[in-house]
Amino acid sequence: MTAAAILARGLGKDFGALRALDRLDLEVDDGEFFGLLGPNGAGKTTTVHLLATLLAASRGSARVAGHDVAQEGLAVRRSIGLVFQDTTLDRDLTVAENLRFAARLWSLPDRVARPRIDALLRQFELLERRDDPVRTLSGGMRRAADIARGILHEPRILFLDEPTAGLDPRARRSLWDRIRGLRAASGLTVLLTTHYVEEAEPCDRVAVLDHGRLVALGTPADLKRAAGVGSLEEVFLAHTGHPLAEAEGG
Amino acid sequence: MRAVYGIVAREFLRFLRQRGRVLASIGRPFVWLVFAGAGFAAVFAGRNEIDYRVYMAPGLLGMVVMFGSLLAALSTVTDREAGVLRMMLVAPIRRSAVALGKALGATLLGTVQALVVAGLLLPFVQLRPTLAGTLLGLVAVVLSGLALGALGVVLAASIRSIENFAGVMNFVIFPMLFLSGALYPVRHLGPALRAVAYANPLAYGVDLLKHALLSPWAGVGYGGELPVPLDCGALALFAIVGLALAAWLLGREGGVTRTAFRERR
Repeated sequence: MTAAAILARGLGKDFGALRALDRLDLEVDDGEFFGLLGPNGAGKTTTVHLLATLLAASRGSARVAGHDVAQEGLAVRRSIGLVFQDTTLDRDLTVAENLRFAARLWSLPDRVARPRIDALLRQFELLERRDDPVRTLSGGMRRAADIARGILHEPRILFLDEPTAGLDPRARRSLWDRIRGLRAASGLTVLLTTHYVEEAEPCDRVAVLDHGRLVALGTPADLKRAAGVGSLEEVFLAHTGHPLAEAEGG
Repeated sequence: MRAVYGIVAREFLRFLRQRGRVLASIGRPFVWLVFAGAGFAAVFAGRNEIDYRVYMAPGLLGMVVMFGSLLAALSTVTDREAGVLRMMLVAPIRRSAVALGKALGATLLGTVQALVVAGLLLPFVQLRPTLAGTLLGLVAVVLSGLALGALGVVLAASIRSIENFAGVMNFVIFPMLFLSGALYPVRHLGPALRAVAYANPLAYGVDLLKHALLSPWAGVGYGGELPVPLDCGALALFAIVGLALAAWLLGREGGVTRTAFRERR
């Protein structure tokens, strides 16, 4: 599989009169750690939902894991894992019940799912909480369970949409350790959306989005060099004329 | 399909966890039996053809199925608000599998609740159905559950938020109950209301339950009013049309997705 993991050509989305994403051209390589950096409302989540076939594009096309998002939705969804901004776990069910539910949604047979769930719970330090309802878990643990749910079916590409939102610094650190571990172990392609420059820093390449437009694309080092600045924060400012952190709160 | 089974299993698991919901669903028909039953029985007194509480039994079972299935299917709204629906929509399954899973889960819950209530209610009003009546009753419960479950998913996919729930209760659940023949025979209604009653899936379910349980009183006008095949056919049609519509509504981007995937702006 040498084809690009993600390939978008002129991809765009309107919500009524609102142009959420203009025309995005993007190519993410297999195994790459790719960041979409931008403020709230830049079109990051729209991009992820278009690539995950949860939204239909207003224009342009995209292929994910070699499958067309408009024509082969099931094949695309089979190849990807998606961790949403907000948890998708059923708070009334236990951690193990949630993972079992997810395994069935992905049509994994029990004999495959059971050992995999055990291994993920161990890896994500949730073994002791496996039979506790999700609502009793801390934010960091919930997030860990969300990610375990997202990779249960061993996807080729993992989308992480603002994965650290609402987490304390310690939970953030442990989340990034896990992501690093996963990538090292499986060569997983990861597409991350974030509005924190420090989270985009370790990415192989970063696409900077603002108001639905791609304003810069490259390795963090190249972006800084090209703009003649020392940080991604300043890269954003140089390209858009306004600072990343204060752009439209939300 | 495995995913459909997973969705049904989750519904059942959630139901067992909610002890209050289990007790309410079992207690509700007895509340109706005691309070509505006592009042109506007094009004009906003097016509000694049937004890009103016996007459009510099929309607109360229909009511249990309706509350059980419709409310279970309407939980699709809370699934959306809690985010769980997104887990189903990002899975590699068709929207129709999600609709079918929710509707079958609703059918299962409605059926289980109706069977438990039947086990308590029928001896209580001293109604002893024949074997054929029992089997027909089971068919009535399952078909009604499916038709009402599909309707519930359609409603859930159309209403935007849980706040609209009260509207559904007032404008769907109560009219359906009163125009179902559960409390009085449909033939006593005027032509306009009768027409509305026959657009009501519960009316066919209750009619079928009357065929199943009240056949000894058919001669005096308290049994089923429509032919059994018509009842079954109408319920099946409601179920099929409802499922198709529900799958379409869930797949429609603006219907569920825009609220399920609300943009942070």
